[in-house]
Amino acid sequence: MGTETELRFVETICLPLLRSAQNPDGGWGFQPGSESRPEPTSWALQALIQSSWPEIPEPAARAFQFIRGTQLPNGSWPPAPGAKTGCWVTALTCWVLLAEKNSANAVAMGLDWLCKEWPRDSTPWRRVLAKFSSQRDVFPVNNSYRGWGWTPGTSSWVEPTAFALLAFGECPAELLPAAAARRRKLAELMLYDRMCPGGGWNCGNPLVYGVAGEPLVIPTVWALLALRNQPQRSENILSLDWLEKNVANMHGPGSFALARLCLEAYGRKWPSDAPDLGDFHQKNEFLRNVQIAAWISLAWRTKRHFLATQLSSTETS
Amino acid sequence: MNARNTALVPSFQRPLSKVLIRRASDYEEDLTSVIYESLREFHLSMKDKTVLLKPNLVGLDPLGVMNTHPAVIAAARESFLRLGASQVLIGDGPAMDRDTEAIIESVCLREFVGPLARTFVDLNVDDVERVALKTQASRLKELYLPKTALGVDFLVSMPKLKTHHWAGVTLSLKNMFGVVPGSCYGWPKNILHWAGIDRAILDINAVARPDFAIVDGIVGMEGNGPIQGTPKPCGVLVLGDDPVAVDATCCRVMGFNPGRVKYLARAGTLLGHTEASKIQQHGESIASVRKPFAVPDAFRHVLE
Repeated sequence: MGTETELRFVETICLPLLRSAQNPDGGWGFQPGSESRPEPTSWALQALIQSSWPEIPEPAARAFQFIRGTQLPNGSWPPAPGAKTGCWVTALTCWVLLAEKNSANAVAMGLDWLCKEWPRDSTPWRRVLAKFSSQRDVFPVNNSYRGWGWTPGTSSWVEPTAFALLAFGECPAELLPAAAARRRKLAELMLYDRMCPGGGWNCGNPLVYGVAGEPLVIPTVWALLALRNQPQRSENILSLDWLEKNVANMHGPGSFALARLCLEAYGRKWPSDAPDLGDFHQKNEFLRNVQIAAWISLAWRTKRHFLATQLSSTETS
Repeated sequence: MNARNTALVPSFQRPLSKVLIRRASDYEEDLTSVIYESLREFHLSMKDKTVLLKPNLVGLDPLGVMNTHPAVIAAARESFLRLGASQVLIGDGPAMDRDTEAIIESVCLREFVGPLARTFVDLNVDDVERVALKTQASRLKELYLPKTALGVDFLVSMPKLKTHHWAGVTLSLKNMFGVVPGSCYGWPKNILHWAGIDRAILDINAVARPDFAIVDGIVGMEGNGPIQGTPKPCGVLVLGDDPVAVDATCCRVMGFNPGRVKYLARAGTLLGHTEASKIQQHGESIASVRKPFAVPDAFRHVLE
């Protein structure tokens, strides 16, 4: 939820920005007036659905249509219309399409593509080669744990892995591919393996040349949300502590909004010394980024949390 | 897309390149005067042009040691405006963290440049255009690149003088990895690593070639760069109209043989000059500002 000032800020700045930035094709670009893309459309749509929950607002129908229309024949979604290769955005589009009954087939195809998409760095052959590589100590991670890459044919990374886990986690059982359970298990192990030594996550390099990687807010949030079914694990608690401690020093509104979503999902209190939301906007107008306006709308809202299952404060205290 | 010249010209057909080294002891100096006077020596025709400054913004950096310093960015912006540019944008697409605003706020760019909502372009989320890679040095046949970077009249690469644990050095050519949009390829842009960093550097610079380079070597970074290295005060700015020649000169300042930096040696065949005989050095001599940098063990072969 939020204070009255914060909720008014969302009502007067963020939601109007989202509503006015929708393109005639039903999608959103990353900024008002820019070309529609599946990723910002998914987030804008999540925010609008949540803001009018339990009703589905009228513009949502056109947005759903845009998203379905950009799906590739193999079930995946590309990062931009016209591109021929699917990517991590598939998890985000599947996730938001779960809100619409007509999209069940599109979601099933998308999740099936995700299940078949394995990272290239951790094939059995690559793992054998890695044992003899001179670089094996540079990134000491366990490659038998496998998540998802940003794009096909690359390595596992924290954020795309977390997005896939969130999409699978929100999906009703009847739409889940048979391989989903195994993929989820491996992906959760991979996320824990990639946690930074003091808690939190960066893109997926916990240790480089023997130096501990610095965690970053956004990957930490997505990893924690993806792993929120294990709230008592020491890694979760350590990472939540790191996130909570850093709220007061956050420089970016995107990190700030996502940190709030995450702490709230775990039932943690929002720190009293957190910066003012309006100050972030005064600085650079969020660089006019539609996706950040959507994240803020999801974090400061009057309705339910956008994740179907959130934890109560008693579970994590 | 505009008509900036990105034709590939063999080294023997290219005119001599010009590189200028200026001393600047710290970021408190009047850097606008230093950069403006330096740019005037290149006789650039900037009237009514749109310029994009592409600094190297790699991560949260409250101490100002890993990113191009905002004082240098602001001074370059002011200098190009004084030379008649109609608009000078600043843009980058950080590779490891998608919270670009957090990065630019952590380095206090707004304090130096003013409000950034319409001056700064987050290249990670800009509109994109499909570009066929004409060099095909890597296995990538095409890339989606930001329309802003492709469409401006004048593109300036503004790296920091740093070593890099995968590429040896990161200067004005490697800095162009930042134009590859995270919204298409992720954070990090891992597809470039799988394609081969050295080869991908060539492919990107062949299609989004900087017209000019200004290297922030006032405080560089040595050792395990580009993020976890050690600050290296050098007190120089290196400027030039050929990014390859600028990078080769920077290597010599750092005590490296540019011919042993794999991507730079290849760039010297099609994109610019690396040979000392083909680079007109102005300002300070290389010998007078030379400061040998420590490199990761894997790159000891680049030492002169």
